[in-house]
Amino acid sequence: MSEERTPKETGLRHRIASLPRLVRLALLAILVLVAVLLSKQLMLILLLALGLWPITLALGLVVLAVSSIWMGGWPWMKSWLGARLRGLVVPALSVLTALIIGALILMFTDQEAYKLMGEGQVWEAIRVAVSNLVSAYKALYEGALGNPGDIIQAIRDSLATADLKPLLKALRAPSDSLVQSVPYIFAGLAVALGFRAGLFNIGAEGQIGVGWMVAVVVGYSFTGLPAFIHLPLAILTGAVAAGLWAGIAGVLKARTGAHEVITTIMLNYVVYRLSDWLLCGPLEKTVGTCRTQQIVETAYLPQFLDHPVTIHWGFILALVAAAIMGWFLFRTTWGYELRTVGANPDAARYGGINVGKIIVLAMFLSGCLAGMAGVVQGLGITHNIALGFQAGYGFDSIALALLGKSHPVGVTAASLLFGMLRAGAARMQSVAGVPTEIVQIIQALVIVFIAAPAIIQAIYRLRKRREEEAEVTVFSRGWGA
Amino acid sequence: MAVQAQAVDVPKARKIRWAVVVGPLLLLALGAIFILLGAYSTEPDATSTFTDEVLGNLFSLPSQATLYAVGALCFFVAGLQLFRRLDTIRSVLNWLLIFSAAFAFLVWVTSGGSMNLPGMFQATLTAATPLTLGAMAGILCERSGIINIAIEGMMLTGAFAAVAFASIFDSLWMGLLMASLMGGLMAAFHAVLSIKYKVDQIISGTVINILAAGGTRFLNIRLLEPAGLSAPGSFGTISIPFLSEIPIIGPILFENQPTVFIMLILLVVVNWAVFFTPWGLRMRACGEHPRAADTVGVAVNRMRYISVILGGLIAGIGGAYFSLGVVGTFEDNMTRGQGFVALAAMIFGNWNPIGGFLAALLFGFADALQVKMQIIQPVLPFINQPIPHQFLQMAPYILTIIVVAGVVGKVRAPAEEGKPYEKQ
Repeated sequence: MSEERTPKETGLRHRIASLPRLVRLALLAILVLVAVLLSKQLMLILLLALGLWPITLALGLVVLAVSSIWMGGWPWMKSWLGARLRGLVVPALSVLTALIIGALILMFTDQEAYKLMGEGQVWEAIRVAVSNLVSAYKALYEGALGNPGDIIQAIRDSLATADLKPLLKALRAPSDSLVQSVPYIFAGLAVALGFRAGLFNIGAEGQIGVGWMVAVVVGYSFTGLPAFIHLPLAILTGAVAAGLWAGIAGVLKARTGAHEVITTIMLNYVVYRLSDWLLCGPLEKTVGTCRTQQIVETAYLPQFLDHPVTIHWGFILALVAAAIMGWFLFRTTWGYELRTVGANPDAARYGGINVGKIIVLAMFLSGCLAGMAGVVQGLGITHNIALGFQAGYGFDSIALALLGKSHPVGVTAASLLFGMLRAGAARMQSVAGVPTEIVQIIQALVIVFIAAPAIIQAIYRLRKRREEEAEVTVFSRGWGA
Repeated sequence: MAVQAQAVDVPKARKIRWAVVVGPLLLLALGAIFILLGAYSTEPDATSTFTDEVLGNLFSLPSQATLYAVGALCFFVAGLQLFRRLDTIRSVLNWLLIFSAAFAFLVWVTSGGSMNLPGMFQATLTAATPLTLGAMAGILCERSGIINIAIEGMMLTGAFAAVAFASIFDSLWMGLLMASLMGGLMAAFHAVLSIKYKVDQIISGTVINILAAGGTRFLNIRLLEPAGLSAPGSFGTISIPFLSEIPIIGPILFENQPTVFIMLILLVVVNWAVFFTPWGLRMRACGEHPRAADTVGVAVNRMRYISVILGGLIAGIGGAYFSLGVVGTFEDNMTRGQGFVALAAMIFGNWNPIGGFLAALLFGFADALQVKMQIIQPVLPFINQPIPHQFLQMAPYILTIIVVAGVVGKVRAPAEEGKPYEKQ
């Protein structure tokens, strides 16, 4: 994960940047084509890199060390790493602290230990509590990234028999983590985009439902279309429908000043009731199931590899969305205007920016992104939509936007982390019998620590940096207009 | 300077014109709906009969004529609003209109049949109880200047604590007390985050909601169910002697769960405390103009701590309503978003306990009517389908959006809400 820009590449970058636009586009197209053709192999390598992350990390460090020979040795490497790691201190410590508190909660709610404690075997109780905790967190890790020993064994088996099956089985955990992180990336980007415009889109959960439902309906209503029309159609209609739904809150904010937190919360519940009715009424396939019919296969988001590795093209869509959002925010006029409105709406208005238009646009785009989180679930995983689709992605996404400081790259990284937590929690429940909700608690604590860095700074006695203090954003401007 | 003032004023002018037209238009539409229902969905000679268990028939109204009358009333008020701008939600006329519209729906539903009216009112009051408690919790918090979207989380915590402690102490009343205290504890957490650490109050509220949802479910699976502490039983209805024997009013008001009585008492107390005591004046000053309050010697942040925690104590009782009031056990996410309806009631009632109560009654009525309609299933004209009950459940949310947008009536939040106060 850490081998990003070696100096040579920077030189290369300059050389590429000086090429004519047409040539650059052609180069990009060739690159994309190669990536698509080799997508299976590339995805396998990515999953391996995730599962064997210590090796990946070591390789990255070696590459860095080698390239530092030309750049000025250890001092250069130290400053290069420092510049990249400094911003990670508070988030990393927040996650660590939340995990520690989660561990304490697990230990203090251990029934077995209490039973032993009741019988007077205090030491035995502590030993049991600790060993239960260790097995729970071990399951959490293995559910998130797989068992490295198993993966290495599986590589040997696969090489020996020229059969991918054992390897795929061992790589299931990292794939599950990526699958879980896909809706997280979209929803996190949605909230982050809102934050950038000074809007608190708390309605991602409802927008996910809208996108999911519309995409599924489009997915099963049209039969006989070729996949290259049907799939984009389903994706686009789902995203745009969710965008329009969120746009209601944007229009209300722009026209009447109605606070978007209230309107998006209320719109959430309208969606829930609407979906209760639709899924148990007009859209239901078999009476009593509250579930729509399956979408047509031409609307499936294709998967990279075979069962049980379920990672699908939604992951690539999510990464592309993050890249586009970064380009939009930091390289386009609208993005600039959007960030200006977020930083200071009065100044933006004075500077000639149409604040109302930007607010509506921001809510629309935010809704589109949130809707995509539902679309990828519907077209990539479930292939239908059933009652009770709310999985909490919408509310967790607030944590993601905070953790990622509303930057596309940060949000993506935070989403990968949360995806791992979610995938790990599922395994923790099945193996160690720990309710998955422990992850929800951990996530809530992460938000607390990120939103109140003073707590982390006090615990670890960190020095406050000036730029960090300046970075604190205030979103709430009251309910009023 | 002049240029700047102009630039800021333009959207405001547009906003008022927009609101002036849309509000009456919505009312006209409502009036038209009633008249259409009267014309096409009721028989000309059908009557709606309202009964009482003790007194028998109370009164019956000609269904069609009543619907026409309420439709006409809607048109009349819409006209008034268009030409004379009678549009504050607090005005008696508007509440009258809202409740007669609600009544008109009742008449339509019972057209050609009969309904136990006191029973309906009692169901409304019961459904309004957690909403009112939640709304009061929100009012105490927000009037002092702290945004509270965590009512849901505080209520859920209360619902869980009620079951847990009622089982541990084997006493429902202990459960109620601890529900209140745990609600207060969550509120204290919210207060520390938003006052001491100056965390964005909406984020802090969201944290409470996530923590409550995850925490209660986690503890329920991991502690309560294995230890067999999850079924303490529920409060029955309590009849107050003598008072409950008054016809009609008795069964509505004086034969209820304890939480309903507590809600009614708290309603009086909170309204008095917030609007008729020096403490209330100071508390509201902290939300409207903290610097001024500070100047005259009010400890703003201490006041905010107290108000937020008081609000949490009330929200906790609202939570106990869910677990100990009806089912007698804890279920996952058992507040089902009622905390957000309470938030809506608070806004609808213009941050005023009585207004919040009236709004809660309206939302509670929608809930009670929805239950009734699942049984009666009145058929809509033209499409010949019964109204899906989910649409009535949406009513609180849509009404709140309409009110917040300022198209019908006006609500105003405390001026300095959401901003951490720092002494200078």
